[in-house]
Amino acid sequence: MMGFMTSLLAQSGYPTPMGVLTLDHYLVVSAIMFTLGLIGFITRRNLIIMFLCTEMMFQAAGIALIAGSRFWLNHTGQSFVVFVLTVAAAEAAMALALVVLLFRRRDSLNADEWSEMKG
Amino acid sequence: MPRGVDSLDEVINPFVLYAGIALGAVGVLLALPRKGVNPQIVGAVIALGALGLVLVGLGVRAQASGQLPNIYFYLFSAIALGGSLRVITHKRPVYAALYFILTILASAGLYLLLSAEFMAFALIIVYAGAILITYLFVIMLATEAPSEERLEALSDYDLNAREPLLAAGVGFVLLAGLTSMLFSGSVRLPDAETVLAGRNGDEVLIHLPARVEKALLDAGLIQEGEVVARNEVGEGLIDPQARTVTVVPAGSVGLENARQVDFPEGYGAKNVESLAYDFLHRHPGNVEMAGVILLMAMLGAVVLSRRRVEMDEQAKARMSGHLNLEDSP
Repeated sequence: MMGFMTSLLAQSGYPTPMGVLTLDHYLVVSAIMFTLGLIGFITRRNLIIMFLCTEMMFQAAGIALIAGSRFWLNHTGQSFVVFVLTVAAAEAAMALALVVLLFRRRDSLNADEWSEMKG
Repeated sequence: MPRGVDSLDEVINPFVLYAGIALGAVGVLLALPRKGVNPQIVGAVIALGALGLVLVGLGVRAQASGQLPNIYFYLFSAIALGGSLRVITHKRPVYAALYFILTILASAGLYLLLSAEFMAFALIIVYAGAILITYLFVIMLATEAPSEERLEALSDYDLNAREPLLAAGVGFVLLAGLTSMLFSGSVRLPDAETVLAGRNGDEVLIHLPARVEKALLDAGLIQEGEVVARNEVGEGLIDPQARTVTVVPAGSVGLENARQVDFPEGYGAKNVESLAYDFLHRHPGNVEMAGVILLMAMLGAVVLSRRRVEMDEQAKARMSGHLNLEDSP
């Protein structure tokens, strides 16, 4: 048991190569978070929660990028996450402005209210 | 020593993986909001149990090859995934947004574990501090006013999930596909030597010879009067791959008396320095693009909200007309 705990606490200091199996742990967490975001986007009817779920999918992509950056010991993945943040911020500004406009029109946040837009 | 992984069986027992995914699908299905009988807590417990099963299944093989992640990884990922489950299952939008902040904070913890300190703090500042506050404001602005007798009333569309069975099924089949493709060695990951050969975090030190000099002096690897050799544009003769520095006696010209010194143990560029170097040295065009994206979003938001201002001003004109009539003697 002690050996198990010390192996759990062993990672610190200057970055050394990370194991493939350790990388897989992070990728699984990222994949599960992406799936939860996708399910939320499909199932919820509230426009605001639907956009929250897209932010969650961005977040999952960010975890995968940072884990890849740590595994390859270079910083390209990290600088890419800056752009994920940029796009998320731009999307939030635009989407929320639209949500407020739509709410003022119909007095409801239900996405199904706008089903005539499907054409 | 890490090596490439060739089959699913080397990473996790396939039975454990698929049982965990099926169990997770059932849990999420039960946890989604619906009218009538609503076993949300049972669903959440089942989903978290499935997560634990998959993580333990991964951990068994990882411990066998000595590649177990830090214990905080389990803590932060459980908080992050529990928070995201609550985001998609909570009936009240405000609480969903608050649970999303929890998810963001736990993800920042994961970033710290992956030695991405700058991105962890940027995430907290930008996401939790700016984007989520915008969400909370919009939730405040765009909520139907509760009637007098039913203050706690929730709207019908928040209580009812759309197609929960289909969505959970499709989502978790996607998850099974993603994980088995990741693990089954469709891409063979490089071993430690290849990874070390591609590392670029310390390249910024070439431009910071004085700092390397001070670190070498502090570590006692060079004496007073020795300096890091520089080329004609002032860059240090430093090899970030081999982690060696060329030092010469101060004031000497040329490299006749030069000697090679290794980096001090554990010395390297800081995360912010190497990230900034990567950002501005390798991808300068992308910075401009990010600026254009933000500018366009700002213009778009202004154009969208202009209509609202015009409507508001009509309303204001009506309101002020009322006031003037009442106020005039």
